[in-house]
Amino acid sequence: MKNVIEVKNLTKEYKKLKAVDNLSFEVHEGEILGLLGPNGSGKTTTINCILSLLNFGSGSIEIFGKKMKPTAYDIKRDIGVVFQDVAVFEELTVYDNIDYFCGLYIKDKNTRKKYIDEAIYLVGLNEFKKFYPKQLSGGLLRRLNIACGVSHKPKIIFLDEPTVAVDPQSRNNILDGIKKLRDLGATIVYTTHYMEEVEILCDRVIILDKGKIIASGTNDELKELTKIEEKVSVEVIDLDDKYVRKIKEFDNVDEVTYKNHVLVISYKKGKNNLGELIEYLKKESIKYNNIFVERPTLNDVFLELTGKELRD
Amino acid sequence: MTVFRTYLKVLKSCIVTVIMYTIILMVFGAFNMQTSDTSTNFVSSKPDVLIINSDDNNKITNNLISYIENNSNIIDIEKTQEKIDDALFYRDVNYIIYIPKNYSKHFLEGKNPKIEIKSTGDYQASLAEMMLTRYIKVANVYKDVVDTEEDLINKINDTLSKETEVEVTSKLDTAGLSKASFYYNFASYSMLAGCVYVICLILSSFKSEKIKKRTVISSMNYRKYNRDLFLSNSLFAIVLCVFYVLLSFILLGDIMFSLNGIMYILNLFIFTICALSIAFLIGNLVNNKNAINGIVNVIALGSSFLCGAFVPAQFLPDTVLKIAHILPTYYYINNNDIILKLETLSIENIKPIVINMLIMLMFTIVFVVITNIISKKKSKIG
Repeated sequence: MKNVIEVKNLTKEYKKLKAVDNLSFEVHEGEILGLLGPNGSGKTTTINCILSLLNFGSGSIEIFGKKMKPTAYDIKRDIGVVFQDVAVFEELTVYDNIDYFCGLYIKDKNTRKKYIDEAIYLVGLNEFKKFYPKQLSGGLLRRLNIACGVSHKPKIIFLDEPTVAVDPQSRNNILDGIKKLRDLGATIVYTTHYMEEVEILCDRVIILDKGKIIASGTNDELKELTKIEEKVSVEVIDLDDKYVRKIKEFDNVDEVTYKNHVLVISYKKGKNNLGELIEYLKKESIKYNNIFVERPTLNDVFLELTGKELRD
Repeated sequence: MTVFRTYLKVLKSCIVTVIMYTIILMVFGAFNMQTSDTSTNFVSSKPDVLIINSDDNNKITNNLISYIENNSNIIDIEKTQEKIDDALFYRDVNYIIYIPKNYSKHFLEGKNPKIEIKSTGDYQASLAEMMLTRYIKVANVYKDVVDTEEDLINKINDTLSKETEVEVTSKLDTAGLSKASFYYNFASYSMLAGCVYVICLILSSFKSEKIKKRTVISSMNYRKYNRDLFLSNSLFAIVLCVFYVLLSFILLGDIMFSLNGIMYILNLFIFTICALSIAFLIGNLVNNKNAINGIVNVIALGSSFLCGAFVPAQFLPDTVLKIAHILPTYYYINNNDIILKLETLSIENIKPIVINMLIMLMFTIVFVVITNIISKKKSKIG
């Protein structure tokens, strides 16, 4: 598969703090690559370095096989960026905002008009064309922010946490829009600290912590890195410690916790575990309400690799 | 064109304020048209005088009263202390002359009798005082060289009746130029306030950190982007300048076609360039839209008050004028004051105007250099 971005040994330091530490990765054409990591892990710094918004200490960045630099306008023509913060003109309508940002790339009036209409349709802002940003809700503003970043039909799109503080409806709309962009042929680099989004959206994931890559691969490849295969959670009103100790002795059990009336059992292998557990609870006359069975998440991978939660 | 198109759209959102500043200028300009400024005109005037005569019906005293009557407006009111004080307080009378009992007798005896006076202290009162002093001085000169009272009165009247013809050689329309000077002085406020407000507001939008980031990563050359923004702002300032000039033609008429009119326009144009550089400097320093109104008031109102745009510079204290020297508006207003008295186009006459214009341009250069330093510091990527 053709690489559209190649980052080699990228290092960025702020005084004594290494924000990005010897990072190397590639982005393949047509994929959605997720950069996953907690706040301060170096995701935004990495993107800013790739976009030449920041100088970096060492390493190299190539986009479309050419060295990326602040004056590489031919490369920039095919890049679109949606930043975490909404960056629009308060004085302009939805249409005029998209027109301005699209106009920075597309000079032809008719082409621009066509692209603007397509971008508005993509993010579902048809009814709000003449609205000013202050008249839009937080979710609609995010959609406008995305439309401004992708209206010129770039080949590579960087989305830096575009769903932070967005209501579920708008989030779904945004995620659907991103999938559509990928289907239209764009390559997408998506940074987030929401593992659910990465799991739904990304073809490949790079997990960052403290400026370093701690794991990379597809969702399934990453989940194989964890020793657990299944997680069962049971709501139990009251549970004596002796039962917890007993459950720990079951086959395939890796870890058992009982917190806030929820019993969580992590299994190394995922066969016949639930049946055995229910049988035991009945036998000991332990009353329970709901039972959930989960596959390991990227949070579990992160937890296992770093010893801390992704959202810490 | 993208930057210019968007500039016009953003400008639309703040044009109301520019119109407001223009209306203020028009209102003050029109108001000034209705009021006659006599500060540079020669108009003969007579003071309002009240004479309280306690002397007997004597020839010398009567002649003094007659002389005062001929050269002033004699006010006749009830001669009670209360009425006299009221007349003075309300300026119904400028000058009160108390002629004491036996004044003529004592005068002829060489006792130098004193005439008490009360005055409002204004220039009309000074005029009355000059008249009285002149009469007494002339009377004193002839008192010892004539034999009779009649001869003395004749000599006094003969001397006081001599007048000198005064011909005003200046062909300047001083009344019209005063109005033009007032208009162009006030235009400095409207121009500076308009430029700083609009340019700061527009720069705060275009150069806000988020918008700037989006622009920097776009395929538009950032230098070209800055150049387009600079040209758009310059065009706005020039259009505003041209508009104020056209307005002056409407309000002031023929005077604007004179040498003085052209000099006023040239002076405003140079000041516009300077105002533009001030606006750019502040626009690069301030990103907070809420602070812009306050800054406009401090910069435009402050410099207009300090430099004599509202109150003529000759009425301002020396300390204020010394402080005003560090502001370009001072040199603009100073030029307007010189242009007001400019009669012919000669190197000697033009020199102080050109020097003031060069000082304004020097200010412009300093502001541009500071703006560039700040701008470079801000655009430095980490």
